[in-house]
Amino acid sequence: MELLIIPFALGLISFIVPKNNIRFFGLIGSLVPAVLTVFHLSGYTPGTLTEVFSIKEDIIFGLTFTMHYDGIALLMMLLTAFSFPLIFLSNYNRELSSSPLFHALAFFMQTGLFGVFIAGDGVLFYIFWEFTLIPIFLILYWFGNGNYTTLVKFFIYTMVGSLAMLLSLIWLKQYAVSFAYGDLIAAQLSEKEGFWIMAGFMLAFAIKIPVFPFHTWQPNTYSTAPMAGTMLLSALMLKMALYGMIKWMIPLAPEGLANMKWIVVVLGIIGIIYGGIIAIKQTDIKKIFAYASISHLGLIAAGIMIFSQNAISASMIQIINHSILSIGLFLVAEVLISRTGTQDITQMGGIAEKAPKFAFWFMIITFASVSIPFSAGFIGEFLLLREISQFKLSLGILAASTLVFGAIYMIRAYQLSMSGHKENLQFADLTWNEWVVFCILGVLALIFGLAPYLIGDMVKESALQLTYIVAN
Amino acid sequence: MSNDQLLYSILLLPLLGAIINGILGKQFSEKIIGIIGTLMVAIPFILAVSLFTSFDKPINVHAFTMLEMDTFRLDAGFKLDSLSLWMTMIITGIGSLIHIFSIGYMHDDKGFYKFFTYLNLFIFSMLVLVLGDNYLMLFFGWEGVGICSFLLIGFHYADKVKGMENSLAARKAFIMNRIGDLGLLIACFLLLSKFGTLNYDQIGLATLLGEFEKDSLFMIAITLSLFLAAIGKSAQIPLFTWLPDAMAGPTPVSALIHAATMVTAGIYLTIRSNFLFEQAPFTQHIILYIGLATALVAAFIAMKQNDIKKVLAYSTVSQLGFMFVALGLGSYTVALFHVTTHAFFKALLFLGSGSVIHANHHEQDITKMGGLKKYMPITHLVFLIGTLAISGFPLLSGFFSKDEIFAAAFGHGYLVFGLMVLAAAMTTTYMFRMYFLVFHGEFRGDNHTEKHLHESGPLMTLPLIILAILSIVGGALNLPSFLAGESAHWMNHFLEDSTLGLSLIHPHHLADSTAIGIMVGTTLITLSIIFWAYSVYAKSNYPISKEQNFKGWAEWSSNKLYIDELYNFLFVKPTEFISARLLMLVEKNMLYDSVLRLTSGIQVGGNQVRRIQTGLLSNYLYFMILGVILFIGYSLYYFKFWNY
Repeated sequence: MELLIIPFALGLISFIVPKNNIRFFGLIGSLVPAVLTVFHLSGYTPGTLTEVFSIKEDIIFGLTFTMHYDGIALLMMLLTAFSFPLIFLSNYNRELSSSPLFHALAFFMQTGLFGVFIAGDGVLFYIFWEFTLIPIFLILYWFGNGNYTTLVKFFIYTMVGSLAMLLSLIWLKQYAVSFAYGDLIAAQLSEKEGFWIMAGFMLAFAIKIPVFPFHTWQPNTYSTAPMAGTMLLSALMLKMALYGMIKWMIPLAPEGLANMKWIVVVLGIIGIIYGGIIAIKQTDIKKIFAYASISHLGLIAAGIMIFSQNAISASMIQIINHSILSIGLFLVAEVLISRTGTQDITQMGGIAEKAPKFAFWFMIITFASVSIPFSAGFIGEFLLLREISQFKLSLGILAASTLVFGAIYMIRAYQLSMSGHKENLQFADLTWNEWVVFCILGVLALIFGLAPYLIGDMVKESALQLTYIVAN
Repeated sequence: MSNDQLLYSILLLPLLGAIINGILGKQFSEKIIGIIGTLMVAIPFILAVSLFTSFDKPINVHAFTMLEMDTFRLDAGFKLDSLSLWMTMIITGIGSLIHIFSIGYMHDDKGFYKFFTYLNLFIFSMLVLVLGDNYLMLFFGWEGVGICSFLLIGFHYADKVKGMENSLAARKAFIMNRIGDLGLLIACFLLLSKFGTLNYDQIGLATLLGEFEKDSLFMIAITLSLFLAAIGKSAQIPLFTWLPDAMAGPTPVSALIHAATMVTAGIYLTIRSNFLFEQAPFTQHIILYIGLATALVAAFIAMKQNDIKKVLAYSTVSQLGFMFVALGLGSYTVALFHVTTHAFFKALLFLGSGSVIHANHHEQDITKMGGLKKYMPITHLVFLIGTLAISGFPLLSGFFSKDEIFAAAFGHGYLVFGLMVLAAAMTTTYMFRMYFLVFHGEFRGDNHTEKHLHESGPLMTLPLIILAILSIVGGALNLPSFLAGESAHWMNHFLEDSTLGLSLIHPHHLADSTAIGIMVGTTLITLSIIFWAYSVYAKSNYPISKEQNFKGWAEWSSNKLYIDELYNFLFVKPTEFISARLLMLVEKNMLYDSVLRLTSGIQVGGNQVRRIQTGLLSNYLYFMILGVILFIGYSLYYFKFWNY
């Protein structure tokens, strides 16, 4: 329970902390949940389900108050807890960091995210899922420079999806004793019902991930959002949907998997290629990264649908990798945009000469993004592509085209902005906080690249249990 | 030290060098950077030689398990057998020489420490590539060398004039290599699904002991995928256009990466996977013909190139084609023999051209040189040796290694043999055209450059001399039987002894009389071409305009057969067109607008309903939209479209 109370309390305290100290408070404060999750990690045995706080009996209408986590959820909690200090730190020298409101909203969002990952009850999951939308919407609305239409589009669009999920949940409840996770899993469905219940969940998740063709909210939202907002969205919020697919959608309605698998895998692969091709010609750096994200997440979504033990482990590795990556990418974008005053990479150039530290880290992030060996992306992508090609070789080969497209758009983005020579260019190199963030990200990517078993061992038992549920 | 420790030292010292120079290099003087960089490659060379002298059986080291899945494991493990030991000696040996050369060549460059960092990193990646004991490790090294190559081609990315051009060349190389990597990835998947492992030994034994049907679909698929990877890295048709562009990098890079070592990774991969290729004669035929076509096409293009490095680059592509011909014929050891001698003389030629370029104020156009032999005697001499070696002049290293390929081709058929001889004749032609235009006749550059023409310093000439000696005597590694009797084909035997699969393949040896006949015949051709080239190009009053305005076939040669233009038209333009069209038609018009209409519809509708009824009713609109979506979904489901 402290997992929810502490971030929420931190959010409330943020309002009363003086403006001068708020960024320091935010940074230190966000370390508290991080330490907390490490405690949980140290007490965790792989493959078990750890209860956090539960009132077992029905409260009303089959609602229960169950909270627990397995290896997969714990990994997501660690990801959440450690992303926040990094996001705050990369924000440290920006205007946003002196706003108590921003910090409060961010902590509220963290509360919601923790809630999503430890929820052991369908309705609780849904409530926390919706709850996270409010702080992020307000952050985008108050601190971004996007127009109202873009944001409302984002908001309503995701709401429509969530609604479908709610319907599916209610439908599913007809066959279950209560909304508790275990009871929902036990529900027996026909193949057709399973498919439609899954479809409801999938719509919610597909919009949030986003899977082609539900992605149109993303490039514009990213392009106008403040850096912290983009990081929260792409490092955490999208991952929530992938987690939902693994932990909720498929185990709850496995009867529909056989049919739904095809749809999502095909859409995911279309997304890989489509996002890659469009990113090749984009000139707005944030939009390039947005389409890259569509391309990368399409692969993860397709991989999850294979739903073997390996596929789930691989997806988890790739989820962690993509979060590391997206914090890095959007910090790169922010450094470029704030120092040059434009988002258009064709207007940039010659920066590498002036800012060698930045050039180095941008290069590292670029390579990590095209999943070179020694970076976390390689093993994740390798395993995911393998699982898809086991499923169908032709699809695997199509999906593997991301290797080539990724190289084209990422290297192009790097070279257009950094290479060449420009007279009289002023470009300040990295500040200390940016440098520290890049170092941490780089070390993490290297560690997980060489020792993916750190993630794999944590999740594979839980993944195996999920596949058992689906198989029976 | 135990063998394990030796192996780790060989592998990790270059990495250590890269880390030291990368982090602290800025504070160091050029001398210290150069010494650290060179030692971290030279020491592994010495260690490798010491392992070589006491080598009797393969060394296997399991470092750690990267990931354990339910059906397979991804291991980091290393293996030192005769093949990888041989490659290690080439890489570190040539690598040390090129490091020494670079200290002189890169003198006063702003990125001096970066250059040595990248070079050491390259050596490390290349060692991972050849020392890994499974295809995943190979993949690690494979991409690692690709990245170092990318960084080094675009090394002068901030150059005022050519910065963007260099970057583009680097990008092209990286992307073309990635297309090849796709092949390696697919090969890994296929191997994993069939054998459940990526380990060479396990796959090799399973293949050799198992009853596999020859030319089964699976074996063809797997070998073609591997060959695609080899094509990308070793610059064969159709993925060869990146290598000439890669000459944008500093010349030592061209010598080390784009001639002696990295581009031979594809050959290494094929030799390593010999047990798979032997099961797929179909793929072997494809390798043979692609190698042959590449050897001819690249040699043809090299005939009328005027950039000294471009000539050498196309020559490299062509020589790699020779090696693939050998591989296609199943003569794996012969291919590696040519890799070895080629590493000697091509590194020599590239470094020699570097010395020439250095003296000519970075002028690379051979029509603006001439008569350099009196200004740079040492460079002239070693360059001549390199040119003779690559042309197959009797008793030099290239003579023997090419002759082995001819012999293999002769055993296969007269057409292949004839075309190989033609390619070799073209090699002699373009090499001596270049040699005479650069070193003979009158100097054709401007006065300022002429005044400053000078021999390079000892740091640059010493490696040249060592390489020249190796280019002369390198053939002794693998002498034909009528010359050496019992100790003939020493290298073949060394490799066959401990490299899995090779001992089972017995290359076809020709009768001594045939072998001698081929040698005499090709020698006569070579000598007559040299004589002809001398009579045409070495004249002091040779009208150079002939080499600047080309007509007929020469125009095609100098314009590289318009292949870049063709690829641009076939691949680049359509992709960009599709990208723009998708953005306009699908992204903007179809998806974006429809969603916008949907969401604004909800807003407007919601507000109006709210005025009439209670706010909650707006939820019904959500249900309506949901209904529409579900209906579409259901109709798709009803027709079971996934079955089609």
